[in-house]
Amino acid sequence: MSLFSALSVSASGMSAQRTRAELLVENLANAETTRTPEGGPYRRKDAVFESSGVASPFASVLFQQSEGSLDEASANGVTVAQVVTDTRDPERRYLPGHPDADAEGYVAFPRMNPAEDMVDLMSASRGYEANVAAIGAVKDMIQRSIDLLR
Amino acid sequence: MDLLSVRQSLVTSNIANVDTPGYQTKDIDFADELRRASGSPEILQAGGLVTKNDGNNVSLDRESRLLAENSLRFQAAESLLRAQVQQVRSAIKEGQGS
Repeated sequence: MSLFSALSVSASGMSAQRTRAELLVENLANAETTRTPEGGPYRRKDAVFESSGVASPFASVLFQQSEGSLDEASANGVTVAQVVTDTRDPERRYLPGHPDADAEGYVAFPRMNPAEDMVDLMSASRGYEANVAAIGAVKDMIQRSIDLLR
Repeated sequence: MDLLSVRQSLVTSNIANVDTPGYQTKDIDFADELRRASGSPEILQAGGLVTKNDGNNVSLDRESRLLAENSLRFQAAESLLRAQVQQVRSAIKEGQGS
């Protein structure tokens, strides 16, 4: 485990938070969507995070060559384990004139709370920022080590 | 400096997992490891942290503080090492002069 693996860890955090932000933005954009390719209204999506070892191909090959075994990494990155789709029943609104209305005049709308998505979006954005700050700090440490012999 | 690198790796790992359900904050006992100065530090679970609903106990405030602290400690260790390197260099230069 080196400072370079710390960079990979932060990068994995950034990519996971970005994926989450993309899903949340998709949710907000589709808050009123009544038609989807799968049929029925749009359903809210969210990312499930899982901690996992980070793959730094260069570091692992280097370690294999020099020590003959793989580095038992104790620093964990994060990955998006799965994207879950909301299974709650859609919200039914009485709109008889709507082209997607059923026989009784109700239209199925996505069950979505914009406040929930906005709060999650803020949290994703803060998480992303924290990872960027971590990369900055680690990069600074690496640079200092390199400058030692100047 | 090795120890600080390990600690910084753990801090970045904690920050990356700030939203991972069930993730527990990892840390090393810096003072204890420094005294022992052994090759591979023991990784512990940080105590005294509030666990959130999803079983995750990463505190972003604590991690940002450690991030800054580690950076500064690293800087201090680096200046000490630099002074030693300079000493060796000047010794080499003097030797070349005569």
